[in-house]
Amino acid sequence: MSLQTIGKINEALARRPAELEKARAEGKKVAGWFNYNVPEEIIHAAGLIPVHLGTGGDNRLVELGARYISAMNCVFTRQIMGQFAEGGDEYIKNSDVVFIDVTCKQLYRVYELVRYYFKARAEILGVPYNFQVGAGKEYFRREVAAFAAKLEKISGSEITGQALRHSVDVYAGIRAAVRELERIQAGPETPITWHEVYDVIQAAYYLDKDTYLSLLGELLSEIKDAPANPKVKTDAPRILISGSVIPPGDRKVLDLVEESGGRVVVDDLWSGFAPYLDTDVEEASLEGIADAYLARHPHGSLPVLDIGQDKRLKNIKKLVRDYRVNGVLFHTLRYCDCFTFKAAETKNVLKTLGVPFLEIHTEYARSDIEAIRTRLEAFIESLGTRLEITSGLIGAGI
Amino acid sequence: MSESVAFAGVDVGSLGSKSVIFEDGKIIGSSILRTGLKSEESGLDALDAALEDAGRRRGDLKYIVGTGYGRISAPYADKTVTEITCHARGAHFLHPKTRTIIDMGGQDCKAIRLDEEGNVTDFAMNDKCAAGTGRFLEVMANVMKVGIEDLGELSLNATEVLPVSSTCTVFAESETISLIARGEKSENIIVGIHHAIANRIHGLFSRVGIENDVFFSGGVAKNVGMRKALEDVMGIRLAQPEGDPQLAGAIGAAILAQEAWSKKKILAVV
Ligand code: SF4
Repeated sequence: MSLQTIGKINEALARRPAELEKARAEGKKVAGWFNYNVPEEIIHAAGLIPVHLGTGGDNRLVELGARYISAMNCVFTRQIMGQFAEGGDEYIKNSDVVFIDVTCKQLYRVYELVRYYFKARAEILGVPYNFQVGAGKEYFRREVAAFAAKLEKISGSEITGQALRHSVDVYAGIRAAVRELERIQAGPETPITWHEVYDVIQAAYYLDKDTYLSLLGELLSEIKDAPANPKVKTDAPRILISGSVIPPGDRKVLDLVEESGGRVVVDDLWSGFAPYLDTDVEEASLEGIADAYLARHPHGSLPVLDIGQDKRLKNIKKLVRDYRVNGVLFHTLRYCDCFTFKAAETKNVLKTLGVPFLEIHTEYARSDIEAIRTRLEAFIESLGTRLEITSGLIGAGI
Repeated sequence: MSESVAFAGVDVGSLGSKSVIFEDGKIIGSSILRTGLKSEESGLDALDAALEDAGRRRGDLKYIVGTGYGRISAPYADKTVTEITCHARGAHFLHPKTRTIIDMGGQDCKAIRLDEEGNVTDFAMNDKCAAGTGRFLEVMANVMKVGIEDLGELSLNATEVLPVSSTCTVFAESETISLIARGEKSENIIVGIHHAIANRIHGLFSRVGIENDVFFSGGVAKNVGMRKALEDVMGIRLAQPEGDPQLAGAIGAAILAQEAWSKKKILAVV
């Protein structure tokens, strides 16, 4: 039985493009954004409608996009170029302006190219290389201030302290609710699956934030008394998914994990749980927001020369413990260097903890499905054997 | 006479279909056939051939495990398990000190690490192209106009290793043709082909590491030239197990069939 609130969320998503069109006809502005470090609450406080852009999983769009960006760019950016080229994406179509933060340089290239080829109104938000040093923090504060100024210009009104406080509160409420959902789905028996929560998280890409927050509240109260979902296998190996983006539209690997008998219990994907993991804005000011974004779970694109200091790795280790993870699946997209380069070190760090690791390197074409299935099944089989050994089934001679 | 408690493993690969019948912890029959167009039929043919070899009938089988790329259409199997898990168990059976497996099959090659019980601890696969696979060797044997089964022996007569730089089947083919046109000795070209594959496989192991003993499984493991090239390039000694390395996957599947049946029986009693 599916959850009623999830049905409501899907209905709200279906209505959303028309709502945006209507809002724009009434003079509202929509600010679309790509990447990881755009502080959405400031867009919200500026009275603009924030929409997180970018989809995946469509090889036709990747091929189309490759006419405008190098075939050596990641499939995600190629698909984005394809979306702009085709002009069919409702959310890109309805964006009055597109903000791109320079967390990953490949998206910076997208910024240049969508302006050049499609005359899109695109703006950039600089992100420092080093989040730890004072100069990096200063730089990002300045970039966020410039970002806010651009937003004010577009909306034609000032971002007031009161509006900022309200937006910070709304986003804090959303983050708290998402953390609670992630915690509940990871329980041994759960009324909601990780995959459902992942889809709910991605509904936030598009929905009005106040509506979304109230839907999350409804969902939490619905699942409080809902029976456990019998489809969730309580004895299946528990998997953490990390690595490259898995945006809306791309469910290839996620579906294969489920078909192979694995159970995802948590992720640190920037298209998933990562932005909710530890983003805590303590001070409702532009500086406070800038600092909070730099202090949170970092994106894999950043160079971290001292592995011991890498917060991303520390968080993965913590998630492995907190969510009682049996194995880590590291998803890397073709030509996504950011995460592909991090696979080996992530594997080595996890190895010291005895946590099995599998990298799946893929793209949006479906030709490698069976090859991925074999890897996933073998990985899940080996995790299953480890579980049986620890539960004593094999040791007892069975 | 007590009731027969036999188990079968069926490994349908892209080039060969293998089956093993297991009884009382021993292999009592086996078969290796060429995979046909329909993998389900190939699996059943291999199973029947192995049963005949063992002097058993289908009705004697308590449990069948299917593996290999044909496992996705193996309705005759009670359960399917990946070839990675099966190769590990099979290699462990044939040579219990195995900690690393190089598996070269018809269309992929795998690097598998296992523990002392034969359980997989890590693995890496190359299945994106024909490099390092039986198919690559078949194409090259064709270019050299020699039988695939003679390739290995011929390479042992080489006087020098001619570098074949590419492992892309298409490029390696044209590279080989130009070496022939240059009048190079066939044996030296053939050994170069084997070294090109060995280098490629060596790269695959950078992801999982190597620990002795190293077991070479799959159809290509019967090629003495490939064994030597791997030993030379990787600086290792390959284990010399008794038994057919091409059967490792089917053996593992048969062992897992026996385990699954025992588990089912015990759980039914509990
Ligand atoms: S992080 Fe990876 S997937 Fe995302 S834009 Fe950069 S290269 Fe592409």
